Amino acid sequence: MDKNIKILLIDDEIDFVEPVQMWLKAKNYDVISATSGEKGIELVKGENPNIILLDLRMPVMDGVETLKRIREFNKDVPVIVISAYVNDPRAGEVTKYGVSGVFYKDKKFEDVLPLLESALRTHKKLK
Amino acid sequence: MEASIIVIYILTGAVSILIALLLVHLARLSAQAKVKAARLERGKGGKILSDENLKKAILEEVKALEHTKRRPEEITEKVSEIFGRELEKKIDVNAREIAGKYETIVKEKTQNEEIAWKKYKRVLANKKETEAVIRSIAEGLVVIDAKGKVIMMNPAAEKLLGSKKKDKIGKPILENMKKEQLISLVKEDPNNAEDKEIELVSKEDDTKKILRSSSAVVENESGQTVGMVSVLTDITKQKELDELKSSFVSNITHELRTPLVAIQKSITLILSKNAGRLTDTQEHFLSAADRNVKRLSILIDDLLDLSKMEAGRLKLKCETARIEKVVEEVLENLSTWIKTKSIGMVKDTEKGIPDISMDPDRIIQVLNNLIGNAIKFTPENGTIKVGVSLRREKKEICVSVSDNGIGIAKEDLDKIFNRFYQAGERTLTDISGTGIGLAISKEIVELHGGRIWADSSEQGGATFSFTIPLNT
Repeated sequence: MDKNIKILLIDDEIDFVEPVQMWLKAKNYDVISATSGEKGIELVKGENPNIILLDLRMPVMDGVETLKRIREFNKDVPVIVISAYVNDPRAGEVTKYGVSGVFYKDKKFEDVLPLLESALRTHKKLK
Repeated sequence: MEASIIVIYILTGAVSILIALLLVHLARLSAQAKVKAARLERGKGGKILSDENLKKAILEEVKALEHTKRRPEEITEKVSEIFGRELEKKIDVNAREIAGKYETIVKEKTQNEEIAWKKYKRVLANKKETEAVIRSIAEGLVVIDAKGKVIMMNPAAEKLLGSKKKDKIGKPILENMKKEQLISLVKEDPNNAEDKEIELVSKEDDTKKILRSSSAVVENESGQTVGMVSVLTDITKQKELDELKSSFVSNITHELRTPLVAIQKSITLILSKNAGRLTDTQEHFLSAADRNVKRLSILIDDLLDLSKMEAGRLKLKCETARIEKVVEEVLENLSTWIKTKSIGMVKDTEKGIPDISMDPDRIIQVLNNLIGNAIKFTPENGTIKVGVSLRREKKEICVSVSDNGIGIAKEDLDKIFNRFYQAGERTLTDISGTGIGLAISKEIVELHGGRIWADSSEQGGATFSFTIPLNT
């Protein structure tokens, strides 16, 4: 069995990151996390994750800016955007940098799984 | 024969003498007439003699008559002649002057009258225009004189007050408003001392009306009060809406708080381990839940405060308290978060700061906001400094919170205290995430009589400071 899928979770809300991380680990994913865009970019470079869960609203560097920078050196890692708002204008902005799906924070844990899986599958197909 | 010739001689002589006397008399008469005529002629065109010249003229005439037999009479005659002459001249000149002036005056008066008439017509037209405007505005307009009697009332005012103008003109405004009509007059509107709220029950349809009366004093040119103008607006609907809004807000907050309390209680119970043992992981995540329930509570309280602020109903409950204790309490509450981010907290409290009058819960709210913001925007391993000092000259205490996180742009420094204002990233995600925390802090500080402001700090972050005067 090939090694676990490595998920990178970028979100400034520690209280959201921890439970999600724990839950995904229980589903046999490898999860690394970053609480800021800066750190997230470093981890993309250093850890080469299979998929990124990216929060849109963060202080200092928001999700749109972070993705823009990631795309400068990594054009194909699939990214799922996390948002707490249904009509977040950033959700529209960010799609121009290549996004594989949107996950709304108030949905259940389980709802993130199909998103992950379809994103990874599409990615594998492209490869 | 000789006797008749003598008689004829005597008769002839007598008749000749008679005729001579007659001729002399006639001559004198005509001379007089000539003199009179000459006098008149001279009077018409001649210049009035000055005093000196008059004297000379008189003297001349007198000298000329010096050797005549009838001296005194002649002299009198001459003198009165001269006087009469001069008098005529003077009267004539005066008469002409007066006639001339009279003409001018009459002309002027006629012109002025025309001008006045034109102006009057214009003023009349303006007055009609103004009256038309006043008659048609929807707001009621009432003008009362310095004694409080009504001098003018427009139809809208009649309708609002339920009175007819003819009943009110010349009478004090409150007369004829029966007890059933007036529930309360002059309830002060807290927002504006010149605005008053009047509650009325309308005679016709038994409905209650609330009017806002905005009054202004009318002064004449020398600054004396000559009366007052009141604009009456029907704010009944507005008041109803306000009532609905505030009861809606209090209902909603109650509804929101109830489930939160339930969550809070359950979590607290489990964390206390009174419902069984807890693994470390369980404890960890429950603490996170607890922390976030508290955060939500603060947010709801903020929203409630905001609605109170909007209605001008945020009130302080002041007591004597020590500022250091308040700071301590806040830092204690936030200690877990501070530790998680490994932030260095530096406290710099001056010694000997007296207890002051303040609302400690509200100041805690302010400090929670400022210190919470500092924590949120300071990176891990950063530093936050809280300073408390006494400014003796200004008789106030000053509290400041400095961080070395992301700063605030200069142009945003005073705008960030505005409700709903979002200055870049910093207020966008302040502790309550809605940008109202700072606005509420400002209101609280200002209600205490203090000031609040922000600066960019040397370390690159921001410094928020506020003052509370010693004698509130």
